[in-house]
Amino acid sequence: MNVLSMIPLLPLHLLVLMPVAVAASVFFLPRRAYQAVMILATLAMALFAVRLFIHVRWTGEITELVAHWPRWVAIRLVADSISAPLVLLSAIFIVAVLIFSIRAGYTDRTFMFLVVMLEAALFGVFLSADIFNIYVLMELGMLTVAILIMYKQDKQSVYDAMLYLMMNFIAMSFMLLGIGYLYRITGTLDLEGITLRLAELQDPRGAIVPWAMIMTAVALKAALLPLFGWLPRAHGAPSAPAIVSAVLSGVQVKVGVYLLVRLGAVFLPVVDARLFFLAIGFLTSVAGFLLAIAQKDIKLILAYHTVSQVGLIVVGLNLGTEVAFWGGMYHLINHALFKGLLFLTAGVIIEEYHTRSYNEIRGVLRHMPAVGIATLAGVLGITGAPLFNGSISKYFIQQGLQGNLGEIGLYLINLGTILSFVKYATILFGKPTAQGRPARDPWVAGISLLFGLACLAGGILGGPAVALIYGPQYAATGALSGEKVLTFFLTLAMGVLLYRFVVQRIGAFLQAVRGFKFSFNQVTVFMTVFFALLLGYGYVLG
Amino acid sequence: MALIEHLTVPNLTVALFFLGLYGAMTQRNIIKTIISVGIMDLAAITFFMTANYNDGARPPISGVPVEQMADPVPQALMITAIVIGVSVVAMCLAMYMRVAYRYGTADWKILIRRLEK
Repeated sequence: MNVLSMIPLLPLHLLVLMPVAVAASVFFLPRRAYQAVMILATLAMALFAVRLFIHVRWTGEITELVAHWPRWVAIRLVADSISAPLVLLSAIFIVAVLIFSIRAGYTDRTFMFLVVMLEAALFGVFLSADIFNIYVLMELGMLTVAILIMYKQDKQSVYDAMLYLMMNFIAMSFMLLGIGYLYRITGTLDLEGITLRLAELQDPRGAIVPWAMIMTAVALKAALLPLFGWLPRAHGAPSAPAIVSAVLSGVQVKVGVYLLVRLGAVFLPVVDARLFFLAIGFLTSVAGFLLAIAQKDIKLILAYHTVSQVGLIVVGLNLGTEVAFWGGMYHLINHALFKGLLFLTAGVIIEEYHTRSYNEIRGVLRHMPAVGIATLAGVLGITGAPLFNGSISKYFIQQGLQGNLGEIGLYLINLGTILSFVKYATILFGKPTAQGRPARDPWVAGISLLFGLACLAGGILGGPAVALIYGPQYAATGALSGEKVLTFFLTLAMGVLLYRFVVQRIGAFLQAVRGFKFSFNQVTVFMTVFFALLLGYGYVLG
Repeated sequence: MALIEHLTVPNLTVALFFLGLYGAMTQRNIIKTIISVGIMDLAAITFFMTANYNDGARPPISGVPVEQMADPVPQALMITAIVIGVSVVAMCLAMYMRVAYRYGTADWKILIRRLEK
């Protein structure tokens, strides 16, 4: 703690600008040094993020008016108890993936530039309290992500990136029109100012149209039910480098979830949409695991599973009780850890086995012990095994549920998760199908095992981890009670049986589900439908 | 005339936005969808430009009394948005060129069929 407090507390705008400067400097560095310099610079940013987090957590939130303009005129940057942990998460995540890829062949200058620029965009979105600033930085993130997806430029990655870019661009146009409406009504772009003005409005219903427009864009970013068509293509893009998929699924998709919370709170005087997002979150979760079970490609299993987990996080955040909210926030971090880990190891496994099909990969545990053990830790974390981090956040989310219907829903989601990971875990066991000795890469093994260890630590610490990261104190001892452990193993047994006797016998049906891909036109139609649904909800129930 | 009164710039731009959305929903030609998306973005920008506009307001340049100035915020913001829009559309077109060279089609449906081969 003492050593950390010696790090200077950077002003927030420098925290956003520093990655931009670092990213640009990569082109001036000599060939042999740029990788080391980039890793050290991102490490330094992670330390600054730690310092910021410590200050926000134990001293209080930081507000900064950019360029000292007066309040309501200036762009405001805020680090509070929700945004500071997310900044910390993305900073550490980026360092970890850059170290992971030290020996990978694709980390040339442009790639490093794009990854660090993405970090700047993430920092900026998390720290801004100005809606137009958020818009601009989301566009920046969108462009960098599009280039990262098609980085290797082979097979269909350019198509995937184009689809991603155009769908997101439509969503951002929705958001821009919504911001325009909002500015017309309230005359301010500051999030707090918007809330104050909306509460004073003569006719608050006038703000429902901009709300619906902005939320449509945010829901697409968070990949909620009808709008997730872009996510599997972007995250599971066949030729995207492993660390790109990890960053997208680990941190980038959380931007949407974060804005759902942030902007939902801004519009609270006009419309309370928690019920709507609760239902959509649940449906997203179910649709996500159904599609995940049907996939053959291990990266697509993981990508569809991200959809499912985002749904679960949204359920937690919108249940309306505090413990479920923080459970959702904790699950957000946990998901970054285990899904990041799984995508990283999946990339290594695909490279080693030269295939992406789950039934051609066997014996990862024996062939590549370090990667296999890390994958196993990730699988245990995501399925909510006792002692792993997933169990804690799922337990908290469950605490917020009243009534049997909700609990049955949560069990259903959990069963689906376990079912899809029983399928995924088959790659770990059996006789290795790859020949020869695997390439030994200490960085890959080290970072994978560190992620796995973090999954375990997050579970053993449990309640104290939530208290450390966010502040509120909840006892998580219930997550280890006999009943919970028994439930997990019963669900696991059920998952294995279902997989063995049902999933493996409905190949034709799964084939049909796999063919179920959304085209560009369809996603646009869904976006319009979603917008209409939000509008209807706002006017009828809001 | 009631209809004429509704033909204000904000209303027309909103109509233009949904016209672009219609194009993006229905067109199978990739270039046409890119154009539609560009129209949506420009409509949103034009809509934003008209926010807080009063009749007779003058451009916010020094020398104009503050009361007569138009609100400078939308103009400053929309320059940013225009730049972003141009770069995104340019990038969409560049990606389309790649796809078109490789698969030789400008049609979303035929493209998907060729991708799956």
